[in-house]
Amino acid sequence: MNDPLIVSVSEFVDLLNQTLEFAYPSVIIIGELSDFKISKQKWIYFDLKDDSAKIHFFGTVYQLPGPLKDGLMLKVRAIPHLHPQYGFSLTVQHIALFGEGSIKQASELLKAQLLAEGLFDVERKRPLPYPPNRIGLITSAESAAYTDFLKIINQRWGGMEILLDNVQVQGEPAIDQLIQAVTKFNQMANPPDVLVITRGGGSVDDLQIFNHELVTRSIAGSRIPTLVAVGHEQDVSLAELAADQRASTPSNAAELLVPDKKATIAQLKITSQQMNTYLKHALQMLKISLADYKKSLQTGILQNITQYHNYLQNRSDIINLLDPQKILKRGYAIIYRQNQIVRRASEFNKNDLINIQLSDGSLNATVNKVITL
Amino acid sequence: MSKKVTNYQELSTELDILLAKLQDPTTNLDEAMSLYKRGQIIIKELEAYLKQAENTVRVLSDDKVKK
Repeated sequence: MNDPLIVSVSEFVDLLNQTLEFAYPSVIIIGELSDFKISKQKWIYFDLKDDSAKIHFFGTVYQLPGPLKDGLMLKVRAIPHLHPQYGFSLTVQHIALFGEGSIKQASELLKAQLLAEGLFDVERKRPLPYPPNRIGLITSAESAAYTDFLKIINQRWGGMEILLDNVQVQGEPAIDQLIQAVTKFNQMANPPDVLVITRGGGSVDDLQIFNHELVTRSIAGSRIPTLVAVGHEQDVSLAELAADQRASTPSNAAELLVPDKKATIAQLKITSQQMNTYLKHALQMLKISLADYKKSLQTGILQNITQYHNYLQNRSDIINLLDPQKILKRGYAIIYRQNQIVRRASEFNKNDLINIQLSDGSLNATVNKVITL
Repeated sequence: MSKKVTNYQELSTELDILLAKLQDPTTNLDEAMSLYKRGQIIIKELEAYLKQAENTVRVLSDDKVKK
């Protein structure tokens, strides 16, 4: 038997940490969350336990997948470590929820929190440009989602630039990659018109990243309008709720983003026919107007002629009434002296030679006597 | 930015405005004839664009351009 090792306390702690680092550089431990605490809004402390054991963990709030509560099952990647003052604990590298039940419970907790913050408010939703000129696409280039999206978008519309950020859409690195992709597009000098974040369907565990708090917040905070399409019909993810629009599948996302060019071409033909109709209608209206003008003109001329006729008749009647011949017939006479009409008796002198005009002839006479009234 | 895309949107907007004017009963016949001719040209250009335009894919990480 070897002699027992004789070391100081500090030396023993160092020795044990070296051994742990060599034997277990990183471990993934699954267990039930208990005694979960957040300190100074920065540090997190919790235990994971099972029926017969309990171990302590230490990490930061930035590693949380969202709000947690005791009783949830977690899958934690961590580094075992013996602290010289506080004893044995595991330093957290990554926390994920474990099991469908826990994933759903945690998702509900986060959903309630983000809902209260207004992240899902309808008033925050912006309309997507239709159709966009440039699309920022965040997905895995190896995925069926990418193939489906491109196939449908190419069938439906053309002339767009699609900027692909090829990211993992499941697993631990996916969270950081998704967030970085959203940030990268938002920081572009000439950003795309819309961001599409998509992946195909998968297990509840696969889709967990779309319920991650930081992913959800990054989508909600995007200056570029967002469309999130996660290929599942049940349980809308938090990322989809935070997006300006959601689609049920990658293909559906393509359908929502752009019109169908076949339908648009058909619509253009209808528009062309409508233009023919509008022009024919305008011509018809003009013909009707011209006919109306003609009718008005004819009516106006007739009215003028009648009025003029009445005027002439009226004047004719007056002239007839004033005809001197008619007055003479009524018994009056006109007396001329030296071819001048004489109207007063006082203008005559005895022996004036006068001519008296009657209706049927005239008389030459001499004035015998002047009698004035 | 693709010039064609800008043209499509500009032409599409011009067509909408033109149709509204064409339907306006105060538009006189001379103007309606002119709008009609321009509208038919725009429709032909839009149809040609829709039949020919292709999308381009640029991968951000390596800047490869695919069609």
